Formats: sequence, C-alpha cells, structure tokens
Amino acid sequence: MTERDDTDMLAAEYVLGTLEADERAAVERRRQDDPELDARILAWEARLAPLGDEIEAVTPGPDLLARIERRIEALESEAPTPPERPRTAQLAALHRRLRFWRWSTGLASAAALALAVVLVAPLGQEPSRPPFVAVFQQNDQQPAFMLSVDLASRQLHVRPVTAEPLPDKSYQLWIKEASLGPSPRSVGVLDDDLTLDAASLQDYDPELLKRATFGISIEPPGGSPTGQPTGPAIHGYLYPTVREGTSQRL
Amino acid sequence: MSDVTGSSSTPRGAPHPPSPNAPSPDDRLGPLLQRVAGRDRQAFVELYEATSGKLYGTVLRILKDRARTDDVMQEVYVAIWRKAAQFDVGRASPMTWLVTIARHRAIDDLRRRPAAPQETEEALEHAASGEPGARERLERDQEARRLHACLDELEAIRRDMVRLAYLEGWSRAELAAHFEQPVNTVKTWLHRALKQLKGCLAS
Repeated sequence: MTERDDTDMLAAEYVLGTLEADERAAVERRRQDDPELDARILAWEARLAPLGDEIEAVTPGPDLLARIERRIEALESEAPTPPERPRTAQLAALHRRLRFWRWSTGLASAAALALAVVLVAPLGQEPSRPPFVAVFQQNDQQPAFMLSVDLASRQLHVRPVTAEPLPDKSYQLWIKEASLGPSPRSVGVLDDDLTLDAASLQDYDPELLKRATFGISIEPPGGSPTGQPTGPAIHGYLYPTVREGTSQRL
Repeated sequence: MSDVTGSSSTPRGAPHPPSPNAPSPDDRLGPLLQRVAGRDRQAFVELYEATSGKLYGTVLRILKDRARTDDVMQEVYVAIWRKAAQFDVGRASPMTWLVTIARHRAIDDLRRRPAAPQETEEALEHAASGEPGARERLERDQEARRLHACLDELEAIRRDMVRLAYLEGWSRAELAAHFEQPVNTVKTWLHRALKQLKGCLAS
C-alpha cells in the first residue's frame, strides 16, 4: 500500500460519501493545497457520476427559487465578496486549464517542456485600475513571460521575465476561449525585443478575456506558418491582481 | 416517495451527446454557467429551471425529507452562484459538476444531523437495482454502460455498498451496521470494490 494508493482511496471514499464529517472536512481542507488529491477527487467524480443517472428528477416546491433569489440578493448587496477559494486552489484550476488546452490542441508533447504556471500577483504598488495578470512559466523556478491586461482599456503588456530571444525562432501569443471555437487564435507574434503591440486585444470582449486561456508558443521566424501553434507552448490564464470580489465588476 | 415525477427531465450530461439527433440538455448548461459566472441573473433562473429537478431528486434521495432538502437546495444554488466562475469544462461535464455540489452538501448535512433510522430494506431495493426504465435510458450513454458493466463484476454485497453509499449517502458505520460487519471490514471491502471498479473502467 503506497501513499498514492492511500490518497486515491481517500479521494474515492470522499466522492462515494462514506467518510465521517471530520474526515470529510479534512479532505476539503487538504484539497485546497494538494493538487494531487484534488485531481484524484475530480477523476473519481467523473468515474462514479453515471451512478447518479438513475436518480429521478423531483420538482421542488414553487417558492424555492424565490427563496434562493432572496439569498443571492442579500449576498450581492453585501460588501466585497471574499474570494471563494485560496490561491492554491486557483493554481490547481490553472493546471487543469493548462491540461485542457494542451489536450484539446494536441500541442507541445509532454517531453518538450516541463510546464507549470504560477500566479504572481503582487505588483509592488496598488495600481489605480487593477490589471489582470497571467504568468507563463517554463519550470518551477521562474516565470518566462508575464502578460498583464487592463480590461477596461484592453491594453496588453507582455514582459519577458527570464525568456530570451531565440535564434531563428519567434514567440507567438495565442488566445483560446470556447466562444472563439475549438482552436487557439493568434494574438500576435512578439517583436525581437519580446514585446507586442499594446492594442492587440482591442477587439476582444473583457468578459471573454477573463475566461480565456493564453498560450505562448515557439514558432519559426515571423510566426506560425499554419495559423495554429506548431511548436512547444506555455500557457497562462488571466487572474485579477486584487481579490476577486472587488475586481469582478470591472 | 409519492412526489417523484414520472421521468427524469434532466438526464445526466455526458461529455458527448447520447445521439446526434438528440443533443443533450447538458450542451446548454456550459454556456449558462459561463453567463452565471458573469452575474447574469436571467441565466441563473434558466439554469435553475433546467437543473433543479435533478438536483432536488439527488438531495431528497439522501435526506429523505422535503424541508431539509429545501434548506440544502438553497445552499446548493447559492454555492453554484458563487462558484460558477470556477466551473471548468475541461475538468467536468456541467451536470456532473452541479450534481457533485448537491451531493456533497446533502452528505455534509446528513453527517451533521443523521436522518431518522432509514427503512433499510426499501433503500436497498431502491439502490440495488435501479428502475428498469432508468436503466434503459442509461444504455444510450456509453460511460454509464461501462460503469454498470463494471459494477456487475463486483460481488453483490460490495456492489450494494457502493450504491447505498453513492445514492443514499450511507456512511461506513451505517453500512457496517446494516451488513453486520466491523467498520474496518467495510472499509476494506469498499477499497477493494473501488480499486476493482477503477481497474475495470481503465481496461
């Protein structure tokens, strides 16, 4: 019995519902900081979900929706909502988005790059309008690029952190979001000094930008010849640099 | 349960629609959830209308009490409102995500305040077989078919345990009492059953 087995069985029993209250609470706490456990829970949810198919729908009483809406009304009128999950959980979500992107575009073989994305939120000083930031990272040490977007003006700023120009290669920024279709769309090819026109995202809706995944791929000079990423890619997802509750009304 | 409606209006969503001619209602749920994430109240009402029957059925089956179910359902939909932005189509089908929230809230509530002694025979009968109609509908869904084939390979008693736990919210202790086994034995059996299921589904 290995530790991995134990984690898997803990996830399985949590999903099955057989744990006692204290054990359930412990799992819920632990999964916030443990992407491995979180991933195993999700896998078990998917595995066992068909068991619920046979549950018959039961029409709730006619006043239930109104009661729920009153609760939401009260919630919305409260001062800034606290963030629903701590950052580690957002990180796990980020990893999942990353997998989704990679899986669905068939990019970047696993061997090509050890992928990780981290959120580096603190910018030092409080900006007047909180930008959204995505960090593109090639390994666990340092980010390769940072992308910040001011959603109100849709101004974009790409900053290489450790990335350096590659001989005979270009970096290209991509955007992917469900409403844009299944394939990533090119935002632009980075200049030789690894920057990009600030107006490149001008045509995108801010709500879409918040949901989108971004990728930076390594392409032949001048960009992908096919209109789709062809080389190894790293990915990021925009996160507000201030707490969700205060920024989501942008 | 006399108030059970005749048929499920919200079959569980699968990643792929059951047939090209009958797109799953699940197809609407992803976009609806995205709109809810953007604080769209109209979308929330539509989402409620599309999913509340299934979620209410899920919670009621665990709690066996409409007043308790009403309370938990409020928590469930408030949680959906708050967490919609975290829904990620890459990690779960929308319906699985929604049912998961409902199930866990119901089980948490049950653990905090165990229900009156369950009518075990009725629960077992309910959980052990599934209504033929329900089972038939499932046959369209390849994933469901695989899971049920794998469940059928389990020893009967272990299969009953899995179903009672998942559908009725029974804890290890409740299973132990009903099957007259030590809790540790139940845990061992559950683990074996789950590993066997996982292996079968992966094969």
